[in-house]
Amino acid sequence: MKPLSGVLWLPPLMSFVLITGLIECSIILMDLPAYLAPRPSAVALALFIHAEELLKATRHTGIAAITGLGMSAILGALLAITLASHPLIRRAFYPYAVFFQTVPIIAIAPMLVIWFGYGQGAVVAASFIVSVSPIIANTLTGLLSTDPALLDLFRIAKASRLDTLFKLRIPGAIPHFLTGLRIASGLAVIGAIVGEFVADSYEDGGGIGTAVEIALKEQRTDLVFAAVLMSSLLGLLIFWLVSGLNQLSLKYWHLGEFKDS
Amino acid sequence: MKHRQGAGLKLRGIHRQFEGRPVINHLDLDVAPGEFLAIIGPSGCGKSTLLRLLAHLDQADQGTLDRSEADLDVAFVFQDPCLMPWRSVIDNVALPLELQGVPRHHRIPAAEALLRTVGLGDAQGKFPQQLSGGMKMRVSLARALITRPDLLLLDEPFAALDDITRHHLDDHLQSLWLSHPMTVVFVTHSLSEAVYLADRVIVLSAGGGNITLDYKVPLPHPRTAASRLSTPFIDHLRTVSEAFEGHSRTLA
Amino acid sequence: MKDLRLLKIIGLGMLMLILSACKGSPDDPPAEGAFKADIQLDWVPEPEFGGYYAARDSGLFSQEHLEVHLKPGGPGVPTLQLIESGQVTFGITTADNILIARDRGADLVALFALYQTFPAGIMVHAERGLHGLEDVFKEGTLAMEPGTPTFKFLEKRFGFHHIHVVPYTNNLSPFLHDPQLAQQCYVTAEPIAARRAGASPFVFPISDAGYNPYSGILVTKREVLIKHKDEVRRLIRAIKAGWTAYLKDPTSANQAMHQLNPTMDEATFEASSKIQAPLIVGSPGTPIGQMTLERWQTLSGQLVELGLIQPSDPQSAFEPSE
Repeated sequence: MKPLSGVLWLPPLMSFVLITGLIECSIILMDLPAYLAPRPSAVALALFIHAEELLKATRHTGIAAITGLGMSAILGALLAITLASHPLIRRAFYPYAVFFQTVPIIAIAPMLVIWFGYGQGAVVAASFIVSVSPIIANTLTGLLSTDPALLDLFRIAKASRLDTLFKLRIPGAIPHFLTGLRIASGLAVIGAIVGEFVADSYEDGGGIGTAVEIALKEQRTDLVFAAVLMSSLLGLLIFWLVSGLNQLSLKYWHLGEFKDS
Repeated sequence: MKHRQGAGLKLRGIHRQFEGRPVINHLDLDVAPGEFLAIIGPSGCGKSTLLRLLAHLDQADQGTLDRSEADLDVAFVFQDPCLMPWRSVIDNVALPLELQGVPRHHRIPAAEALLRTVGLGDAQGKFPQQLSGGMKMRVSLARALITRPDLLLLDEPFAALDDITRHHLDDHLQSLWLSHPMTVVFVTHSLSEAVYLADRVIVLSAGGGNITLDYKVPLPHPRTAASRLSTPFIDHLRTVSEAFEGHSRTLA
Repeated sequence: MKDLRLLKIIGLGMLMLILSACKGSPDDPPAEGAFKADIQLDWVPEPEFGGYYAARDSGLFSQEHLEVHLKPGGPGVPTLQLIESGQVTFGITTADNILIARDRGADLVALFALYQTFPAGIMVHAERGLHGLEDVFKEGTLAMEPGTPTFKFLEKRFGFHHIHVVPYTNNLSPFLHDPQLAQQCYVTAEPIAARRAGASPFVFPISDAGYNPYSGILVTKREVLIKHKDEVRRLIRAIKAGWTAYLKDPTSANQAMHQLNPTMDEATFEASSKIQAPLIVGSPGTPIGQMTLERWQTLSGQLVELGLIQPSDPQSAFEPSE
């Protein structure tokens, strides 16, 4: 196992070192001032000095993003199942699912505040709104692209609609759902950060979005990049968690037993 | 426990067209209970459509389809084994009983027994991705048989397999039919397979779904590998082949 | 007959030429060799930029052989970065931003300070019956942009422990919906809009609490000032004249800005330009745009205390007026 994990981590680590090294050298050679382009070494220093506050802020945003993603997963899947149940329902309500995708958070910010108040509630709502669309779209595709031969088999076996839904359509749609979840994971972080810009409360210091805003106002470009880096790492972490979930269910898919009643 | 012989079917004036083109052209057909009927014909002769009509997956535009019983147990085997990849082999086989509400402690032993019959007793816990094409088809057959269907419909089930596997599966199907009396309607492209398995071979014409030959194959069951090389078999095969090619040639 | 028609055509053409010259369109280039200057405004066209539009439209810039482009801004426009990266030559900002930028290494210079009194304030509902700014921090919610020097000043001075502090999103509806909500404002804008929406706003000026940076400052890079000393002098002369004219009569400049910013109606333009007048005019006899070292030093000391900058002499942060 050990040498294998070394191989997995080595290429991205090497490319990271190479790219940051190039950026550092370019900034030095081009003599760019710190207030326009912070050197990666300055960003690393800022990250180190402000580690505690940045981690606290990342945790703050991370909780909201994961909650928002969880809600997207559950409600998104349920909405997809509802839309898949009847073509009339689909035609009538699918445009609203598209609406989720296109609404700019800043425009509905006052409404979020009215419904959820300032704070984590509104931030989670923003995270949900931004991340739910790919889950609905992908899961719906999965539910509607069930193998027609298997559907025929179920019909011939006189299966009930519920059985067809739970024993055929839904299991068949799980890979699509997981694809949607992977796409949604990054969006959940973005949604949480945008939500923080408009509706968080600063009581416990706020999240990463707030940290970026403050760093911008204080003209600390190194801190801006440090905070942005933390938000990228948060996105990567959540993506990695979702990929892990994906691997786990694929494992069950191929090798485990699907326990039925 | 069923004591039926299998379903009897009576088709009168069955007509089905797609986009103005008749795929089945005022067809009359009687199928006796427990009969093994093979249907052969060139592509587009409507044999798959006919099978779907028998399965009630499709409705005829005109004509009547009478079944000997009102509530028939029908099973269908496609060319694609169609196994659910998220279920183990045994759960795939047990599916039809599960959909009928049969509890686990009844349906699993039944599935086990059928898997043993098709020689896959050790594969119960495996998943479809771990099986070869021939093994998957055997699982598909086992699944089709688990409800002891009155009517078994097969649409070119072994066409995607190599000859040796195909012969083995022909024998599996034959022994299953002999041990579970049921009516079988078997669509195939292979003339020798039709003659090997069936009591009766029907040839459908191209583009129109008319019966050009209705031929009884009076060879005794069970038929074996040796039967394929016997003189009577070759005679029957020749007759069918000439009728098949003769008609095809007139249309070419 | 043909000659008469030709004469008419020539006459018509000359008339159009004369008329177009008289219109004094802003895109009309003046004499060859005019100094091109673009000024990045840090908000949408509103009375806080009235003098610039007055100077432009009455030809004060062209008279000084200047070709000035006024670039309207809005929320989030990165004025200082645009100047620092050389994408624009001049911009409008507040004194504290300049001192912070200088601390971060950018050699920016303030040239002209419009507001002698900082227009920022905290707007509350009059029904709350609050007496002083300190009462704002006793209970309720405060909507404010985080991280600004004003934010940090208020936090240090009054403490935020008893209130909820939330983002300010340039939207009036949270204020209108919540009688316990206080929010940051510019006296020239939000209170007027709130009154028009039917609320009774009351404003506590930040300057009264002791934080009073110059604002509406015209700023540029030192290298521009060094390279174009004479042009900059002419620019400031034109700007001062423009503001003097605007303070006398803001009507035509307001109309021009209203064309660019139709969401703000003419009545609001009028009210806003009236309210800002006393903030622009300092003590009697003070020339418009004046800056003193003393006030820059006070500001510098305050920013050091807030931990925003290192101690330094603000002498080179501004160009003394003539």
